Amino acid sequence: MNEKGKTLSIFTLLVYFFLIAPLVIIALTAFGESEFLKFPPESFSIRWFVNAFQTEMFISTFIISLKVAVISTFLALLMGIPASYIISRGNFKHKRLIESFFLSPVLIPQIVFGFSLFNFLIIKLKLPVFSSLLIGHTIFIIPYIIRVISANLENFDYEIEEAAVIFGASPLKTFFIIVLPNISSGVIASFILAFINSFNNVPISVFLTGPGISTLPIQMMSYVEYYFDPTVAALSVLLMLMTTVLMFIIERSLGLNYFVEN
Amino acid sequence: MKGKWSYLLIFPALLFIIFFLVVPILLTMVSTVQVDNGWALSGYANFFKDYYLRDIYFRTLKIAGITTLLAAFLGFPTSYYISRSAKKYRGIFLVLAVFPLLTSPVVRSFSWMIILGKNGIINDILMALSLVDEPLNLLYTEFSVITGLLYLFLPLMILSLVGVMENIDGELIRAAESLGASKFKAFMKIVFPLSLPGLIIGTALVFTGSFTAYTTPMLLGGDKTRVLSTLIYENALALFNWDQASLIAAVMIITTFTIVILINYFSDKLNPGGVK
Amino acid sequence: MSFLSLENLTVAYGKNVVLEDFNLSINKGEFVSLLGPSGCGKTTTLRSIAGFVKAQKGKIMFKNQDFTEVPVHKKHFGFVFQNYALFPHLNVFDNVAFGLKMQKTVEAEIKKRVEEIIELVGLSGFLKRYPAELSGGQQQRVALARALVIEPDLLLLDEPLSNLDAKLRVEMRVEIRNIQQKLGLTTVYVTHDQEECFSISDRVVVMKDGEIEQLDSPEKIYRKPETEFVADFVGFENFFDLFQEGDHFKTSKDQLFKVSSADLDDNLDKFRASIRPDDIEITLAGGEQKENTIIGEIKISTFLGEKYQYNVETEYGEFVVNAATEKRVENNKKVNLYFPEDKIILVREE
Repeated sequence: MNEKGKTLSIFTLLVYFFLIAPLVIIALTAFGESEFLKFPPESFSIRWFVNAFQTEMFISTFIISLKVAVISTFLALLMGIPASYIISRGNFKHKRLIESFFLSPVLIPQIVFGFSLFNFLIIKLKLPVFSSLLIGHTIFIIPYIIRVISANLENFDYEIEEAAVIFGASPLKTFFIIVLPNISSGVIASFILAFINSFNNVPISVFLTGPGISTLPIQMMSYVEYYFDPTVAALSVLLMLMTTVLMFIIERSLGLNYFVEN
Repeated sequence: MKGKWSYLLIFPALLFIIFFLVVPILLTMVSTVQVDNGWALSGYANFFKDYYLRDIYFRTLKIAGITTLLAAFLGFPTSYYISRSAKKYRGIFLVLAVFPLLTSPVVRSFSWMIILGKNGIINDILMALSLVDEPLNLLYTEFSVITGLLYLFLPLMILSLVGVMENIDGELIRAAESLGASKFKAFMKIVFPLSLPGLIIGTALVFTGSFTAYTTPMLLGGDKTRVLSTLIYENALALFNWDQASLIAAVMIITTFTIVILINYFSDKLNPGGVK
Repeated sequence: MSFLSLENLTVAYGKNVVLEDFNLSINKGEFVSLLGPSGCGKTTTLRSIAGFVKAQKGKIMFKNQDFTEVPVHKKHFGFVFQNYALFPHLNVFDNVAFGLKMQKTVEAEIKKRVEEIIELVGLSGFLKRYPAELSGGQQQRVALARALVIEPDLLLLDEPLSNLDAKLRVEMRVEIRNIQQKLGLTTVYVTHDQEECFSISDRVVVMKDGEIEQLDSPEKIYRKPETEFVADFVGFENFFDLFQEGDHFKTSKDQLFKVSSADLDDNLDKFRASIRPDDIEITLAGGEQKENTIIGEIKISTFLGEKYQYNVETEYGEFVVNAATEKRVENNKKVNLYFPEDKIILVREE
């Protein structure tokens, strides 16, 4: 397969440099001694990591982000798995329409959605901030769940379920002992995908914060406005580490070709 | 497992989305056409009459457009390279391209603050080479926003293209060559047209993403370079002008929808062979 | 003077050497086929001629010019791919016209030539269709038209019929041969189908493991294969050893054999002999021992419709014999196998 010329190879190399270098720079900055965000850093130090772990607001918002991500992903799975099942197995009118409907949150700009929720839930319905945050995240995660699980289900032959039923398993039982185990890789992958997207989210979270309730990305953003020091870089490194580990798990369960078949 | 039970299983998700997505958005949109005792589109007219708002609107469009063009320009050859690579390397290339997508936009924008800042790398290099006397103001400009958005969305463009390109049979290129086309001509006449579906999807994703992004323009544009999304936030939570915020939000949604519809329309025109 | 010649060609994929010191010479206007099992190197040879594969060593001479380094798109050879490689986003007209467009031919002439060639391959009326809308046979004809319309110096075909059903394959091979003869095109054709190859070629190159086993006309190869591999390939079975003694031969058990086609000047004394199952005459055992006869016992008999096929166990191994259905001989019967002296061939040992 030698259809790539030299120019193409160099060009691609430069593009990859563009993609990777900034992340490397953050990593290196995080280990620098100096207080100013300087690159290249002068000497090696982990003081910014220590600082990150000691800053109360980072720890508390990290926990909140974690809670929100886990709970909303869980809720989304709870609602999304049955919905995916019906979409892929069902044969009713307007099936495609319903499927598009479930995938529609993707089409709405997140900033608009965040604002609308703020308007509706916090101003009009006066719901507590944390619940609103959960609702917002759950909504925009549902499409991820549905897309992954539906694809997984399409690859899983319906005849296997029919075999289970014929040999005596009720539809409900079949779902739990036949279907679920076979889509487990899809469940894990969509869980992680949803988790990462929820954890990293800004435009929705930024409207749904309140006294004592904020997410880590939002906190990092406000920190940067006042203190331009490498603590944020250290946090970034930790977050990238977390992402890498989670991506590794997805790779094990689904393989990365999934991302390409978007 | 058909019949009435099925509907029961969809209901939770259905209701949830209707109540917590459709309703809030509708409320926002509807509020923009409510005037005193009736309905009117005067809100939108006023939006475009206001210099400030209009400027920001077109600036946001411009930024999104440039970002998309750059993403296509950089992404196309890169995706081609990846799709023609040996299988064992393709995975690694894809991981490297996808990884940035999973890091927080805060992290990704932050890296450019380090690079473009007054004490940042670029300025350090320029000063060291004595090309400038004092650090350039690279941050909080359209340039920094575009750079940040390009960095954010290039992987998305690459992903959209690689899938489509992988499906282009290498024999087609060899057929073109055997008929007299140079490697470049074969690329333009065979690979490019067949990659269009991927390019169209990528363009739609990158443009709408850049147009509606918040984090990157917020961190890299700041107060000096505002875009529609940062304007919405400002109006809602700093100025408490919720009507204005709703209006801007509505304009954003309508623009996004229109663009997606336009892109879909043109994509059908460009695909007579039914190459999906 | 040869039109196309491959000289001492060595082609390898990584550590896998497919062709080594390969030599082949083709004359103008000839239809030459490369025939052999998968992995024998025939496709590699074809693709080397086209330039899709670069040789590590050796030269490719075309019309007395060194074509080894000439880039693919400058060679002006026509290539028909096994899977057709039609451009999916272009209709039939544009697919066929592609090569002419690359040559910057005038539009009016493109139209004329494309329409002519489309009519030649029998696809008039299909010009506006897209490849996805065509059947396998139709796609194949578009691929052929596309390669022919540019009036190539050389036509190269890589198993173009292998994806078609049997009946279509026979129809299409006749069409290809007719067109080739009509246009006087020098053609190199790769296939693994012996019957297809023999029916349309002027000369056949039988290949095995990157080497030429025999290069001859189809008749010669069919009647006088030179090696055991080629003989086996064209349907000979029943191989056994014969040792030369003066003007006749003896088997390993000293039985007398006469072979009329033997070239007695050869200085070998051991030969591999072979005969087709159809040519052995089978009779019930008994009577005097004659020359060219072997005794055996029937182990299996199979009804083939037109004839019976017997697997006969002898002291030289198992022989396969086909005989007319009238004279059915039962299993476990002892029989005489008579080998007419003009039906035995002698091949080189492997």
